[in-house]
Amino acid sequence: MRIGAYRLSVERAEAPSPARVALGALLAVALALLLASVLFWTPESGPWTAYRIAFGYAFANPSGLGATVHRAVYLLLCTLAFLIPLRGGLWNIGLPGQVYAGALAAFAVPFWAGARELGSGTAGGVALLSMPLAAALAGAALGALVGLLRAKLAVNEILVTMMLNSVMFWLVSDFIKEGGAFMSATAEGESFTLPEAFRPPLPLGLPPSAFLGLAAAVVVDFVFSRAAAGYRVRTFGLNPQAARYAGIDPVRVSLWVFVLGGAFSGLAGYHYFAAVPGLYKIPTNYGYYGDLSFYGIICALIARGSAVGAVPMALLFAGLSVGGRFAQGALRLPFGVDYAILGLLMTTFVFSHLVDRYRVVWRPTAPAPTSAPPRPEGAR
Amino acid sequence: MTPELEHRTPPPVLAARGITKSFPGVRALDRVDLEVAEGEVHAVLGQNGAGKTTLMNILFGLIHPDEGEVYLRGRRVRFRSPHDALASGIGMVHQTRRLVPAHTVLENLVLGHPRARGLLDLRRARQELEALCARYGVHVDLEARVWQLSEGEKQWVEILKALYAGVRILILDEPTSALTPPEVQALLRALRALVDQDGVTVVLVTHKLPVVRAVARTVTVLRAGRVAARLSVSDTTDHELVQHMVGQEVTLPTVQAPDRRGPVVLEVEDLSAYNDKGVLSLRGVSFTVHEGEIVGVAGVTGNGQEELAQVLAGLRPAVSGRVRLLGRDVTHLPTLDRWRLGLGYVPAERTEVASVAALSLVENTGLNYHFDPEFCPRGMLDRTRLERLTRQILATFRVKAPHPYVRAQHLSGGNLQKLVLGRVLSRQPRLLVAHLPTQGLDVEAAAFVRAQLLEAKARGAAVLLISEDLDEIFAVSDRVGALYEGRFVALVPRNEVDPETVGAWMAGSLGRRA
Repeated sequence: MRIGAYRLSVERAEAPSPARVALGALLAVALALLLASVLFWTPESGPWTAYRIAFGYAFANPSGLGATVHRAVYLLLCTLAFLIPLRGGLWNIGLPGQVYAGALAAFAVPFWAGARELGSGTAGGVALLSMPLAAALAGAALGALVGLLRAKLAVNEILVTMMLNSVMFWLVSDFIKEGGAFMSATAEGESFTLPEAFRPPLPLGLPPSAFLGLAAAVVVDFVFSRAAAGYRVRTFGLNPQAARYAGIDPVRVSLWVFVLGGAFSGLAGYHYFAAVPGLYKIPTNYGYYGDLSFYGIICALIARGSAVGAVPMALLFAGLSVGGRFAQGALRLPFGVDYAILGLLMTTFVFSHLVDRYRVVWRPTAPAPTSAPPRPEGAR
Repeated sequence: MTPELEHRTPPPVLAARGITKSFPGVRALDRVDLEVAEGEVHAVLGQNGAGKTTLMNILFGLIHPDEGEVYLRGRRVRFRSPHDALASGIGMVHQTRRLVPAHTVLENLVLGHPRARGLLDLRRARQELEALCARYGVHVDLEARVWQLSEGEKQWVEILKALYAGVRILILDEPTSALTPPEVQALLRALRALVDQDGVTVVLVTHKLPVVRAVARTVTVLRAGRVAARLSVSDTTDHELVQHMVGQEVTLPTVQAPDRRGPVVLEVEDLSAYNDKGVLSLRGVSFTVHEGEIVGVAGVTGNGQEELAQVLAGLRPAVSGRVRLLGRDVTHLPTLDRWRLGLGYVPAERTEVASVAALSLVENTGLNYHFDPEFCPRGMLDRTRLERLTRQILATFRVKAPHPYVRAQHLSGGNLQKLVLGRVLSRQPRLLVAHLPTQGLDVEAAAFVRAQLLEAKARGAAVLLISEDLDEIFAVSDRVGALYEGRFVALVPRNEVDPETVGAWMAGSLGRRA
């Protein structure tokens, strides 16, 4: 486009600066909320009221804030589970399955300790520690299967993880249904409730898994930026051929990123079903929480592979899903507005990434060439 | 003092005025003018990194100039994408192939053709293409899958594709770099026919003087992003052209490496390997390379050279036979252990295999050092150390890069190659396997790389040089051999054989067997 002696053009841009990325993220959130406000328009109240209620509950109400933080930790652990394989160029779509595996393994500990029959059971530190450990191991084992199939037989990891999600979903169902090993006393299609003795302590109102998740985010970023192991994973992710040239073992990389990813998913399952106050069981609608794990993928992609950068994203997504659900009930809004907002947010973030790849350039047009080729008559 | 062409009466069919283009840290083009007359072959000559490819990408609409304009038949044009350029009759054949390997030649040729919108009329397309092939004396099997073709054939498919789409101006970016000598001759003949019979205009990007001499009428010489000269080819000498390219009198480094052959470093015994298609393409090769010796292996691409290099580097399993490095059997040893033992490997594919485009030069240096305890104390990458080493390599190997943290993708092919070689040699390898180390490099860079091979030899390294360039092999090797269909035709001391004989070996004319 020409304006006077200037030309306005859109060109491909190089990597954007961190400030621009942050600004883009803020604008994306604002745009999503603006678009979603249509959904909150009711005869009685405008979007402003709805947002005040949603954000007020999610971030200012004590019980709402609790729910938000617990959910954010869950999302953060799922983000790590996706992000680590992603840096190695592999896609872990098996988050729900690994979450279920973690939940089942965590509940197996009190089950073996006889908690289901006794209703209480006795647990020491060993049992408390072995629950998250079992969960992480179960998730890691499921991940290892995927990593091995990928590395040894070049089986597509996306297909394998997706199918394992289904397998694990029905396995959970089998365990908690009437007659299943983990069924509740009332046989209502949910697991037995975790006895007090098996519930982890809550320093600062948070289960230890929350602190573990935050610490892990810092460690993961550090390892990827500084450690030789992180360098090998990144190199493999960016150019597997160059990685092989450099002597980086593709089998080991594929296996380890999936083992670690699976372990974090398993921990997420432990966190949500066995460590968050108010639940302490695998509920009937465990599939809802399983699906929620997919937001870890969105968080990792939006944060562009940075685990610490994903923390605010996880908080935002958690707050919006908790607060949106609350506002929906309070204002009798249509069912599913919480998911609608999350969907809009995803869209605007993807859009902001697209915008980042271009820049608007404003520069004077080149002075008319002195030796311009002769122009045919009538041409401009 | 820039010698100018005398003003031509017909207006240039394609012209660029004041083109400037910068990439982060590099000014690739600086107020470049280009004029191409209708129906001529215009050569764009320059060293690696002179900005030739960038200029062509601008003419083809792949990238946009920061400043300057492009004129087509005197009319200013602004291509938003190659699609616009094609619609205006400009086609380009890139250095790297852009074909669908799994499709047939015919399917590739039809893909993207203006007429191929909904239904494909393959029968009609075949007839037209057969006519086109006949016209230019090209023999390409239209039913063959592209992955089965040689590099030269693939290039022909791309040229045919442009011609079939009806382009009147054809841009060829380094078209001879992947071709064997007979293929080069065939290409040049066809280009002449294209221009003389059909009046197609050709813009030929190259750094090879003989190619310019053979077909071009006029030439624009680029140096470091600026036009160094515009000349009529018949009015200039090779010496003059080289001077414009390089900017000063060329002083090619000469290294005298004394012949002090030491003990055996590499011992290969009856080695066989499959290629990617599962065909046994390395068939029972045996040879040795000694300390302080360069063994040059000639051969036309596809006769087992790549497989040999990869088996030695541990990147391809050996079907049978044995490899010993410094007396140790390494046949089944992983790549990493071979690096640790003293292997140095410079693969032919510098962009795909030897570097990671999205990583900085410092992190690319890490490819050869991530396992070295000195550079990774307690499992942590020592960035300061890596950066210092990278700076050293950039300086010693005269790599043109704005700073060590620029991404590898911003380096030109020749600079990247020097960097890769510098990285590998900085490890002081006991065995250096260099596969096509000067492919696509300009005269100066190639001479530099060869000098480095000789220096490695002087330091006591055993060097296996795999090349298609007989001049290169004869310039540096102590012993010379040729691979044909996966076997050594011969391997003899250099002074016992002449290039013509080795050329015959490469072509499968069996002399004596080693």
